[in-house]
Amino acid sequence: MGGYVARRLLQAIGVLVGVSVVVFAIIHLVPGDPVRLALGTRFDQGTYDALRERAGLNQPLLVQYFNWAGSALTGDLGVSFRSGRPVTGLILERLPATLSLAGGAIVVALAIAIPFGIISAIRQGSVLDYAATAFSQAGISIPDFWMGILFILFFALRLDVLPPSGYVSILESPWQWFTHLIMPAVTVGVVSGSIITRFVRSSMLEALGEDFTRTARSKGLRERLVVRRHVLRNALIPVITITGLQLAYLLSGLIVVEQVFAWPGLGLLALDAVQARDFPVLQGAVLLFALFFLLVNLLVDLLYAFLDPRIRY
Amino acid sequence: MTRRLAAIFVLVLMLAACGGGGESVEGEGLESEATGASEAAEGAGEPAPAGTLVAAIGSQPDQLDPHATTAYPSFQVLENVYDTLVVPNGETLEMEPSLATEWETSEDELTWTFTLRDDVTFHDGSAFDSADVVYSYNRIIDEELSNAYRFGTVEQISAPDETTVEITLTEPTPNLLANIGAFKGMAILPENAADDLNLETEANGTGPFQLDSVEPDAIELSAFEDYWGDPAPTVDGVQFRFISEQTTALTELQTGNVHWTDNIPPQQIEDLTNADDVTLESVPSVDYWYMTANFEVEPFDDPQVREALSYAIDREAITEATHFGAATATQTAIPQDSFWYTDYAPYEYDPERAQQLLDEAGVENVSMGLMVTDEFPESVTAAEVISSQLAEVGIEVEIQQETFATWLDRQGQGDYDAFMLGWLGNLDPFDFYHAQHTCEGGSNFQNYCNEETDQLLQDAANETDQDERKRLYDEAVTNIVDDNSYIYLYNPDVVQAWVPELSGYTARPDRAINFETVELSG
Repeated sequence: MGGYVARRLLQAIGVLVGVSVVVFAIIHLVPGDPVRLALGTRFDQGTYDALRERAGLNQPLLVQYFNWAGSALTGDLGVSFRSGRPVTGLILERLPATLSLAGGAIVVALAIAIPFGIISAIRQGSVLDYAATAFSQAGISIPDFWMGILFILFFALRLDVLPPSGYVSILESPWQWFTHLIMPAVTVGVVSGSIITRFVRSSMLEALGEDFTRTARSKGLRERLVVRRHVLRNALIPVITITGLQLAYLLSGLIVVEQVFAWPGLGLLALDAVQARDFPVLQGAVLLFALFFLLVNLLVDLLYAFLDPRIRY
Repeated sequence: MTRRLAAIFVLVLMLAACGGGGESVEGEGLESEATGASEAAEGAGEPAPAGTLVAAIGSQPDQLDPHATTAYPSFQVLENVYDTLVVPNGETLEMEPSLATEWETSEDELTWTFTLRDDVTFHDGSAFDSADVVYSYNRIIDEELSNAYRFGTVEQISAPDETTVEITLTEPTPNLLANIGAFKGMAILPENAADDLNLETEANGTGPFQLDSVEPDAIELSAFEDYWGDPAPTVDGVQFRFISEQTTALTELQTGNVHWTDNIPPQQIEDLTNADDVTLESVPSVDYWYMTANFEVEPFDDPQVREALSYAIDREAITEATHFGAATATQTAIPQDSFWYTDYAPYEYDPERAQQLLDEAGVENVSMGLMVTDEFPESVTAAEVISSQLAEVGIEVEIQQETFATWLDRQGQGDYDAFMLGWLGNLDPFDFYHAQHTCEGGSNFQNYCNEETDQLLQDAANETDQDERKRLYDEAVTNIVDDNSYIYLYNPDVVQAWVPELSGYTARPDRAINFETVELSG
């Protein structure tokens, strides 16, 4: 097990190096000059040249890459062109908000998906099943920014029970953190939950039709126990996979929802970096997102082994 | 193994239970409805203490070094932190004393002598004197920072004594005051500030508020006790929150969590004008939006084709579509309220005349790529209207919507037929016309060159007699409009809203946001 984790982590480093090369290449191939952007529409050759030199953009691409990669190894992701601030700091100050939102959203998602998925599978074809299916269909199709704005108008403006937007650190006030988190987490959680619901339902249905379920029933086990001990347990593997993917996706920033709720997460940082062609920030952010995916995937694989004794590493 | 499985199952159930708890919280919130409002009021970002003005701006300042940033959100904050030698009057925009109390020019107009206030301290307690001015201006010039062009005619900056600064010029520069005072990009920093501070996130100015903290969702300022201005600020501080979604910003304002915002959905301006819970002010700005076609691309090099474009465009309709009435259609750059306004508007919306001009020019089946950017959504909206108007005279418009980065690249390379954009925050006619329409102008991306216009603009730049300068600009502008170097579209309004408890604030035509004199009641 330990050897397996070590091997996986080593692979992850290889993947991260690959990602950094690809990201570096892509963002330098995309048209758009960060220095022209920084100057806006007022163009002055002297200022332009001075800025380029200061940003190190007049060096050959390869030199730029190795300079960046060298310091990235020491945890220094460079300095943002746009803000003149260290990228590592910019990312770290936004990480708590992103972790809060991703965590809150996945809790909401599972709270929706697991009961809905189980009920619609064991009551297949019933009104409850159709209701759950309709709900998850709606959750997937309704645009999240629209749902977020409706929440704000209803719960903040009409009822005045929740703050419309903003983020408060959990260290500052856990209650404030919680009330600010509810609407964004539900907005995102409904979408993720709708996706996961479908996986819970279909993998439950599959397990319900398996031989071991028939055996469990035929030995006289109560239906409740059949579902809990045999069906759900076996149905969880694909559910964990999709939940892990959802979590990694949520951790990579949620641009639209962050915008609607003025949530200071990584999504807006990455978006601004793309728009300003702020290469160092963008590279740092993408590298972090890749790391999230790698770690979550590793976690999911380890969970498989816990869930299914037949899986060994 | 079974036990492990059970543990995981319990974990999943616990997660589900937590989620369930989350949903029931709405009920708890309802119970505490009486206290809900005050809780919500504190909840905006970091809880702001009472007496602190909370302002919602549309995006996060990129950085706070006044000499390095070019972003408007940065200046919204910096306006309250730094001072300049002179400042534009809030209504007329004429330059008035600030850190400089008076100034005089030598007879040859090449030396300006500024007398400075002697009672000013920086936020760290150190005294302000002429060395700080010399340092700040030389920093902009020597490091070729983004406002270095404003010192294009400056030969030397010196400090004969502690309260005197002398600026020596290579040629008469009638707009020197506007150059050094138009906005806080020309702020006075204490000597060696760039070495002593991280100016990106730290500040040490002489303004009414000092910088307390910089967070990813808010910037906080507190009133500066030893501020030289009179009266000193009455609010304890200002918290700037970054809320990009307009509906959210408006809701925050309507629930009283935010006291002031300029991020208002344009389609709601009319409703808000009559609302009780919001005070809305709309004043004409000094910004202008325009369209231009590339003089080096056929058939747009043909004066008749350009004129046809100008006649075929219904400026009123574009203004209505982009701003729902909160803008004024125009045919020149400088708005009507200004001394420098040129009263010249030869183009009525007239598709028939446009068609006739195209026929005379002998062109047909004209297609035109119109480059706009999603960075400024109003340009995209305007392009759609322009496209349908030009279709009426048989010009087929292909709207090319680009990111700003790509847009600027293409503009710089001349790789376009036509584009639309705006110029924001200009004060002196030099800012409005010079770099845009002189043959070698740095912002003349349309490649316009009329030698007579060029000469008029060069003369006006150095003319120190105000009336004569105005006459020169009027003549130049008439040429620019006749040649359709730019096809001017509209001047948008500055639209800002605040809660009724806020008083002592007025929206300014130059979009400077100054909270020095505001009061908060209740």
